[in-house]
Amino acid sequence: MGSGSWAGGWLRDPPWSASLGQPIGATVLLLAALAMGCQPMALQPLPAINGRIEQAGSSREPALGDRWLAVIVGQGGRERVELLDLERGLPVPLPGLNRADAQPVSVSVAAAGDRLALVRQLEGRTELVLYRRSVASLQLLRIQPEGVPRRVQLRADGRQLAVEVSRQGLWQIDLFQLP
Amino acid sequence: MPAPNAGFGGSNRADPALSGDGRWLASVIEQGGTSRVILQSQPGGALQPLRHLGPRTTPHGSPSLSWNGRYLAVLASAGERRLIAIEDRQRGSLLRLPLPGGSQPERLSLAPDASRLAVQLQQQGGRRVQLFSLRALLEPDRPGGIRELGGGLAP
Repeated sequence: MGSGSWAGGWLRDPPWSASLGQPIGATVLLLAALAMGCQPMALQPLPAINGRIEQAGSSREPALGDRWLAVIVGQGGRERVELLDLERGLPVPLPGLNRADAQPVSVSVAAAGDRLALVRQLEGRTELVLYRRSVASLQLLRIQPEGVPRRVQLRADGRQLAVEVSRQGLWQIDLFQLP
Repeated sequence: MPAPNAGFGGSNRADPALSGDGRWLASVIEQGGTSRVILQSQPGGALQPLRHLGPRTTPHGSPSLSWNGRYLAVLASAGERRLIAIEDRQRGSLLRLPLPGGSQPERLSLAPDASRLAVQLQQQGGRRVQLFSLRALLEPDRPGGIRELGGGLAP
């Protein structure tokens, strides 16, 4: 962790603070931080990519890979999944994933950006699918026992996913091993 | 396959988040009128303690884990205020992050290597995702065995 991350007061109970009394300890730490040139820390927006996301319209359900952001964007009353390459600041094509008659619900991406998991509503049902970018293939994942999926999260290595499933009025979590 | 319920079989469980190495599963349970994040080891489902993300910071939502499960990011509460909290399980510390003024966080996603955070914000009646850098705040949490410098053959 960066040495200055506690200087703004956002880091509580740093591991070495227990031996220092309050408020003397806090004062000593603050002076030490100032001596080290630390500045208060906060979230640092990434304006270039945020501008790109804003251009796409409304956006929701973010999912990060190491250099990828999967997100559901909406424009003109229609929503679609977009995958942004964060290093190039550009979306990549997802042939066969988005359909005009489908409503995306939740999306997730593996760290390498090669796989996406998607929950979508299509023709009156809600389904869970796995998309492989290298071959532009879409695989329906059958939920057993039957249930209605909602939010999905793909493990960073793409080998497992977890999904919320509604069964008999109760939300549960299912795990899928993926080949 | 349903995940081990860790004794919460009669409660709603939502917002699953797996660590990249598959050793950890975070989720949110509804119990006692609030939502609370729990962390389980995999595959057995044993509950793991969280030092900072206790009842005083509920309701929780949208947990997200880094590659080895070192960091657990979650939407939490401090009084009336919603904030982003990141528990560093290795150091036993908590990072609480301020949000852009006037915006309400609804969802978040932590990059597997903990370098970035994506946040879905409710602003002026609309939803939008914003991306933030965490490089100045967190050490990376990358998969084990990746060599960052140097080369040579493995022994």
